[in-house]
Formats: sequence, structure tokens, C-alpha cells
Amino acid sequence: MKCFSRYLPYLFRPPSTILSSSCHTEADIISTVEFNSTGELLATGDKGGRVVVFQREQESKNQPHRRGEYNVYSTFQSHEPEFDYLKSLEIEEKINKIRWLPQQNAAYFLLSTNDKTVKLWKISERDKRPEGYNLKDEDGRIRDPTTITALRVPVLRPMDLMVEATPRRVFSNAHTYHINSISVNSDYETYMSTDDLRINLWHLEITNRSFNIVDIKPANMEELTEVITAAEFHPNQCNTFVYSSSKGSIRLCDMRAAALCDNHSKFFEEPEDPSNRSFFSEIISSISDVKFSHSGRYLMTRDYLTVKVWDLNMESKPLETYQVHDYLRSKLCSLYENDCIFDKFECVWNGTDSVLMTGSYNNFFRMFDRNTKRDVTLEASRENSKPRAILKPRKVCVGGKRRKDEISVDSLDFSKKILHTAWHPSENIIAVAATNNLYIFQDKVN
Amino acid sequence: MEYKVEAHRIMSISLGKIYNSRVQRGGIKLHKNLLVSLVLRSARQVYLSDYYGGVCLNAQHVEAKEWELMDGDQEKLIPASEESLPSTTACDQTEAAEVPEAPQPEETDSSLAVEGPEDPCEAVEGPEDTSSTEPQAEQESSSSVDSTCDVSVPSPVVSEPQCEAKQATVSSLDCETDANLAMSAEGNSHQPPKAHSCSNRKRSAEKKASHGSPVKRTKVTSSNADEEEAEEMDTSNVSNLITIFGSSFSGLLSKDNSEPEAETDESDSGSGQICCDQMLKNLNPWNTAIVAF
Repeated sequence: MKCFSRYLPYLFRPPSTILSSSCHTEADIISTVEFNSTGELLATGDKGGRVVVFQREQESKNQPHRRGEYNVYSTFQSHEPEFDYLKSLEIEEKINKIRWLPQQNAAYFLLSTNDKTVKLWKISERDKRPEGYNLKDEDGRIRDPTTITALRVPVLRPMDLMVEATPRRVFSNAHTYHINSISVNSDYETYMSTDDLRINLWHLEITNRSFNIVDIKPANMEELTEVITAAEFHPNQCNTFVYSSSKGSIRLCDMRAAALCDNHSKFFEEPEDPSNRSFFSEIISSISDVKFSHSGRYLMTRDYLTVKVWDLNMESKPLETYQVHDYLRSKLCSLYENDCIFDKFECVWNGTDSVLMTGSYNNFFRMFDRNTKRDVTLEASRENSKPRAILKPRKVCVGGKRRKDEISVDSLDFSKKILHTAWHPSENIIAVAATNNLYIFQDKVN
Repeated sequence: MEYKVEAHRIMSISLGKIYNSRVQRGGIKLHKNLLVSLVLRSARQVYLSDYYGGVCLNAQHVEAKEWELMDGDQEKLIPASEESLPSTTACDQTEAAEVPEAPQPEETDSSLAVEGPEDPCEAVEGPEDTSSTEPQAEQESSSSVDSTCDVSVPSPVVSEPQCEAKQATVSSLDCETDANLAMSAEGNSHQPPKAHSCSNRKRSAEKKASHGSPVKRTKVTSSNADEEEAEEMDTSNVSNLITIFGSSFSGLLSKDNSEPEAETDESDSGSGQICCDQMLKNLNPWNTAIVAF
């Protein structure tokens, strides 16, 4: 099991925060974290509709120990609160998901979405500017034509690097319900957006049209029994995608089979264990996140208490099941009362699909090594955050004697939850969002 | 029984959540409300199922019958087919091997359920004098149940949940018709229903006195201050929330939403009737809202 050191503790606070470090505004709560396909950039979205992009410093020979810090690269307001006048509903500006597009030129592109609208943002650098115009001077003022005696050709001169983000596409008015996922297709031309009942397929260039490929809305809403909770395209096969449901099932669909993919090609569901039945069985079986492995061979799903790995070739049961915080099983009623049972945890694969990571409460996050079957609980907290410190594994005491350094279940702080994490696509660098703080941890460097 | 108390508490909490979701920023979250409604349904089934596992199997059947017979004038209410049989823990909690009696065919809106000795707290009360349509039948069934005392009465119990949750509603409905308006306007003030719930409880206490001690004990349990608060919350929310619940998702009400309003005029009619009336009356506007949503 790799050791993770807190090499560089990035405690991220948005520039607009003027409160002290002990408190924070709700708008600063990070709602999504995503590395781009090379890992050079890391994007975070927050409840206030802002996106902050970090860029990794190039390794320099002068400072070899500062291997690749992440610094703020760009900040922009992606979504604003809106009001739906027809339904008298406010549309939150919270960024639900960010997905990067693969880089095809010097600019970076990402998709960000709130509950209703997806936007394509272009992030580009500008480090030169033209100088020497004839009709206007350097300040932009129009020159008096009578003073112009000669012509000159404007030239590009270097300037301070400026990173600007511009919205290139706005994909709106396609979702009646709240968007929970977006996923870019491996064809790099299309992507899908998913709400509670429908999945729409878009072309990145076309904003006034989308195709509905999944629709599980019943004719009579009284018959509604399940909703879509997440969806993702296969990493290699551009015709394949999966979507998970609130009933704990995953459906794999093939877009070649039909225009409307209501009929699944594969159906993954594990029969419920009757001995664990409770009032809240349905809630805890609802899948909060689904992720393909990088290889495309496996699926990972996260429900409230477990992480499961599925083999695409075996629908009857998961290949592996990992308990994230089974000690909460006896506390489901309290967690229901304080709404924690509805928390949607995400899960991520590492670059080689050998380690899984997901969050928990008390700012704990868990990693599971699929090969050694070992797992570790780590904590993202300021107290642990000394530079170069190695994260100490934590342990939750589930009863009986509590050893020193262990924390008992009742002492867990359920307001400190880690819902969003990200893993660098090729290196052992992880980004962990703890409420309004972003922690970036790197593997121990020798 | 304790799990009944627990089930009731969970129902109250669930209703509160559904209510609060309406004022949350960003609109109603379909997923969360669906989950809450599932919990509400489970809790309700546990509350109803009682007795032991066998009842669970019959519960749906019983429920179906009970719904059907709810007020002759009302349309048959049949639980949605999706409403799965309660496989909740309560079912597994075989309190006592009490054989459920055949479902009581009479209308049971306001009948009192008397539970077997192993579940003295299970008895549920409804304002008995409010059952106008079939008071005789109800009392007969109640008394028969009373006498046997070891027979679960699924039907009355089944009606109980609506009544239990809607007792205050019922009482408020009983007392004032304009409570209908108050309740149909979701989110309205809670005061009028609350007042009524208290009166309802008094009435229930009266009823209770007329029955055996098991019933009395039950009522004491359910009349705890805590639960009263919960029921008061239920009172204010119940009609709205049950309506929301019933109309949005399967399980509580039949799909036949066209509910005649004839019953609402009967101030003293069975509480269950008025419950359903009220619920169903509110269904249509909410249906529209749900559809729009």
C-alpha cells in the first residue's frame, strides 16, 4: 500500500472569501473535482457556481523537491442562479459536474453543469499582444488622423500571461429534472447529460438540439419507483454507456441497438441480503456514483455503505465488495434524521485500476487496494497538514475498547464529509475536497 | 410495540422532510423525495403489518380489501401494484404467532384495532363516533376483536395508518370544513389543524376508555407528548404530505384519483373517509404540480 504524504497542503479558499478560516460561506463548498486527461489541470466547482482550475507546475531542475505543485490557473463564474418563471422555481448555480475534453490544441475545454444547463468553457492563454496600431495608440484611444504621418505594421509583443475563460457553448432547455451527470464520449464529438429520468445525447457543436436516449419516466408519475442517479460512457467503446439507478441496479446500453436505449443490453444487480433489511434498505442501496475502470473492463459503483466492482461480463453479482463504513449500519435512523443518509459519495479509480478511493465522514477517505485486499483510512485535515508529513492511517473503533488514536463512531463529525475526490490519471496524486477546502496529496517522493 | 413507535416516528420525520423539500432552494429534488417516500411507505407497512410475518403476506390483500371497502361511496382504492409486500424487519419480528383473522369486511376507517396480548401497544384508535357510515359494523368488529383479544385486526389496523397519520387531519376535517382549504393549500399555517388534533386525541382517549386495557395502553403510548408533537406536525402536514406522497408515488392511494367529494360534508363521518376524501381532493392539484414538475 502506498504511503501518501502531505507534500504540499493546498488549502484552497476562493478569492472572494473574506471570512476567517474557521467559518465559510455556503457558496464556497466544493461540489466537484476533476483532473483533465493528462493530469496537468485540476478543476473544482463550487456551490456558488464558480470554477477554479489549478495547473501543475512544470518540474524544474532548480527546485527538484517541488515536484509539480498545483497553482491556481484560472477562476471564472460558470453558472449564475436563475429563476424559472414558469414553475416559480429557483435554479441553483451549484456546479454538479465538470468534465474535461481531451486537448486538441493549445486551449483547454471543459464542460460544467448545474441542475439545468451545461456549458462548454474554453480556457486559453494569452501571452502576446499586438502593438503598433495605426489608428489607435497603446491605450486604445483613437489617434488624431492628422498626426499620422507614416504607416507601420503591428507586431506581437510578449505580455504577462493572461488566462481567460470564455463560454463557447450553452446547452440549455433540455432537462425537466435535475442534471446529475455529464459524460464525454470517446468519440470526442458527443457527450451525454443525465437527469433523474432522462439521458440526452448532445453534439458538442450543436446547442439547439439533443437526442433523448433513455427515458424512464412512467406515463403515470404515481408509478415512479426509481430514478437515474449517474451515467457514464464507456472509455473506449463509443456506443456503450451505463446508468445507475436509485434501486441499486446498473444498466449497460448499446446505442447501436436502437435510437431509444430504454432496453438495456446488460443489467447488473445484486440481490438484496434479507438479513440486512431495514426501513432504509432502499436508500442505502441507491447508487450514488458509477465509474468505468480505465481499461473499460470493470465498473465501480458506490452506494451508501459500500463500493462494488463489477465485471462487465458478469451481471449477477459484483466481483468485489468493499465496506466503506459499515459501522454506520446501526446508525441509519439517525443518519436519516439528519439527512446524511442522502449524501452522494463519489468513487474513483487510480490510473492502473488497482486502487479504489472514496470518501466518508469526519473528513476521512478510504482507499482499497484490489490486489492486496488491504485498505486504509486517511484524514484530510489541517492538523495533519504539515509539509512532507506522511498521512497517518486512521481507524474507527466500532465498539469495545477504544485504543489510543482510534476514534469512536459517536465522535465522528458528520458535517465533515468527503464526497468528491479525484485521482491523477497516471500518477499517485489525489485531490480531496473537504467542504470548502481542497487537499492535494502526492505519493511519497524518495 | 416499540417498532410501531419507531415506525410512527419515522413516518413523522419523513413527512417533515417531504414538507421541507418544498421550500428548499433549487426546487423539489425528485430522487430524495422518492427515497423519503419509500421510507415512509416501509414505515407505514411496518406500522400496519404488526403481529408477525404472516400478516405481512396478507397485508397487501387485506389492504386491498380495506381500501376497497373504504366508504361505500368512495371509489375503490386499491394500492398500487408496485407496493411491494412489506418485507421489512417488522415482518420478521414475529412478535407472537397470532393468526390474523380474516380481513374485516366492514369499513374500518375509525375502528379500533385491538392487538393480541403480545402486542398490547399495537392497538390503534380512531375516533369511533366519527364513523357514521358503518358504526354498527365497526363496533361489532371492534367488540368482537375486543373479546377475542388475540386476533389481529388487519383491516382496522390498515385503516389506521391513514387515520393514524391523518387523525389530526380527520379531526380537523371533522370539525371544520375550511380546514380542507387550509390543508389543500400546502404550506399553510399549521394552527387550525393542530388545534383539531388535540380535540381528536381527546376523543380518542374517550374511545379508548370504552375498550379494553390493551387499547388504553396503546393510546397512552401513542399519546405521548412527543408523539403528540409528531402528530401535530402530522396534523398540519399530513393531508398535504400524504396527498403529495400518494399522488406522486405509488403505494398509498389507488390510481383512481377522481374522488367524489360527497363525503367531505359529513363532519362526523368516518375519519378514514374524510382522510381519503381530503387526500384525494388534494390529489388533483398536486397531480398537476407533479406533472408540471
